[in-house]
Amino acid sequence: MNIRSDNMRRQLAVLVAGALFATVSMAQTPEERGLEIATAVQAQDDGFVDSESAMTMTLINRSGKKSTRRMRSRVLEVQNDGDKSMSIFDEPADVKGTASLTHSHATDADEQWLYLPALKRVKRISSKNKSGPFMGSEFAFEDISSQEVDKYTYRYLGDDEFEGRAVHKIEAIPAYKHSGYTRLINWIDQERMVAVKVEYFDRKDSPLKTLEIDEYERHMDQFWRAGRMHMQNEQTGKSTILEWSDYKFQTGLTDKDFDSKALKRVR
Amino acid sequence: MWMHALSVPLVVLTAMAVSTSAYAEVETRGNVALQLQAFPSDSQHQATQDSNVSMSTEIELYSSVGENGSFTATPFIRIDQNDRERSRIDMREFLYSHYSDDWELNVGLGKVFWGVAESTNLVDVINQTDLVENDGSSAKLGQPMVNLLLLKDWGDIDLYVLPGFRERSFPGIGGRPRPAVVIDTDNALFESGEREKHIDVAARVSTAFDEWDVGAHVFHGTSRDPLFRFNPASSSVVPFYYQHTQVGVDVQATLESWLLKTELVYRTGDEIEDHAALVSGFEYSFYDIRESGADLGIVTEWMYDERGEESNQAFQNDVLIGLRLALNDEQSLEGLLGVITDLDEGGQLITLEGSRRFGSSIKARVQMTIFQSVENDSAFSGFDDEDNLQVELSYFF
Repeated sequence: MNIRSDNMRRQLAVLVAGALFATVSMAQTPEERGLEIATAVQAQDDGFVDSESAMTMTLINRSGKKSTRRMRSRVLEVQNDGDKSMSIFDEPADVKGTASLTHSHATDADEQWLYLPALKRVKRISSKNKSGPFMGSEFAFEDISSQEVDKYTYRYLGDDEFEGRAVHKIEAIPAYKHSGYTRLINWIDQERMVAVKVEYFDRKDSPLKTLEIDEYERHMDQFWRAGRMHMQNEQTGKSTILEWSDYKFQTGLTDKDFDSKALKRVR
Repeated sequence: MWMHALSVPLVVLTAMAVSTSAYAEVETRGNVALQLQAFPSDSQHQATQDSNVSMSTEIELYSSVGENGSFTATPFIRIDQNDRERSRIDMREFLYSHYSDDWELNVGLGKVFWGVAESTNLVDVINQTDLVENDGSSAKLGQPMVNLLLLKDWGDIDLYVLPGFRERSFPGIGGRPRPAVVIDTDNALFESGEREKHIDVAARVSTAFDEWDVGAHVFHGTSRDPLFRFNPASSSVVPFYYQHTQVGVDVQATLESWLLKTELVYRTGDEIEDHAALVSGFEYSFYDIRESGADLGIVTEWMYDERGEESNQAFQNDVLIGLRLALNDEQSLEGLLGVITDLDEGGQLITLEGSRRFGSSIKARVQMTIFQSVENDSAFSGFDDEDNLQVELSYFF
């Protein structure tokens, strides 16, 4: 058999396989449909390169008493792996200047450093603690860390409506064994392909928290970013509001700005 | 004098760099603290009181200089009721920094931390300990330096020229906790004829890969830890600062809940026996216990100095066992219990610390220190009646 006809046969095989795949995808399993939607949500954020933003966090206890935290964050997109991110704390005043650095990974353990300005000490810290509270708030570390498709397995639950918007409901089961959740239900706005609501279920599979995300704005004609997140703890009655502002994209940050040494000079 | 002739050009240079950016905005942060100390046992030492009141403030003034530089000045002031050695002004930082893509230059008075361990940091040799702060070894005196940091793809190279030495602070006659003998800091002895003007040099390389953080260093110059000598002229004990060369490594492995930490150094000098010293141990953490958000860490470290009783270190064969609790709540309530046991002499040093925030700007910290000395020649002997309780209220801005 000559080479040409071998090639043709291969092309034919690919065509047949493609046709078969198309048929199969019409009868997608809920798992495949869930992964497809999660991948689409992630994919539309590809190419943001880097971003900077400021955040105000308001902790509200059961009796309505509020306290405030302020921080700034920087994110560097990493192709085919988790992003690198840095957070610089401005409030409360006793942690002013404290900064944390995370190199997140899709499958391996994240690497994490903390800078303590009073001691001028950079500490490598364990990244195992995903379920613990972030800055005393109702957000766990895993809620605000880099969201990668590979960190969950998915199942499409059906379509619904949320505040007048058509949404897909996707169940996401954390791949990480020390996650604080058995599962999450993500409500994905069909038009913008962003999460507008997330329900969290604790290790006993009881409803734990509900997150509502709104005030989305589009940056660089492509990237949707939320202006406000409201996390309600259904078990304790406490809640936390995150408000994001001053978004900047493609500011020219590089790997060197996300090195553990860079923690010391960040302001 | 805390600065000598050689550091003056550094300060002038820094001041010039700053004056060129007089229009730049100055950012400030710092704290004002009120500290109360109580000593339940009557001291056997003369001229000491059973309580003490003290105020301190530390203010960091920061300004960017041009596109790639910054200037930081951090004055620290303490006024103490009983200890004249504690009442003072120190410049923790007076530093001009220039940042480039692959290097960084720091000139002036600065503060540097090296190390990974919790109990003691053998590799941390750049700054002198400000012992009178009664704060372990975390309070440090500003060190005159010219520091060049080279950022490489594989890690970092840190080079230091240290023109000028700072003597360690020791409690004065009215100060507590202190040993039976007051250290006479006015008549310190030096091995080098240049005394505190000796120019020290140091270098460190460090890198991080996967779960490993590794550093290696060399230091040549005046030891930050003095030996003690009896001065017949003044019939007092004086610090003797000798010359030595230290090489060492520090390694941390971060393996999920386990942190494994080791610092190993080797020191040689004419006035000391050549020796190795080690601190090595682990920290294990239970995270988010019973879904409460609280973390509990267990720290165990062994401190060893080959010289044994001849060592000028307090910890020559000692073990730290510690518990660290963090509630991770709105007030950041934290507690720390540490027990250091001298394996040779049996003495113990027990510390209990707690802290929490009130509102958004006030932090309270309580620290209790108990000295249990079994034998007289233990490292903690003479401190038997120096148990103390310290309460500090700090306002941060």
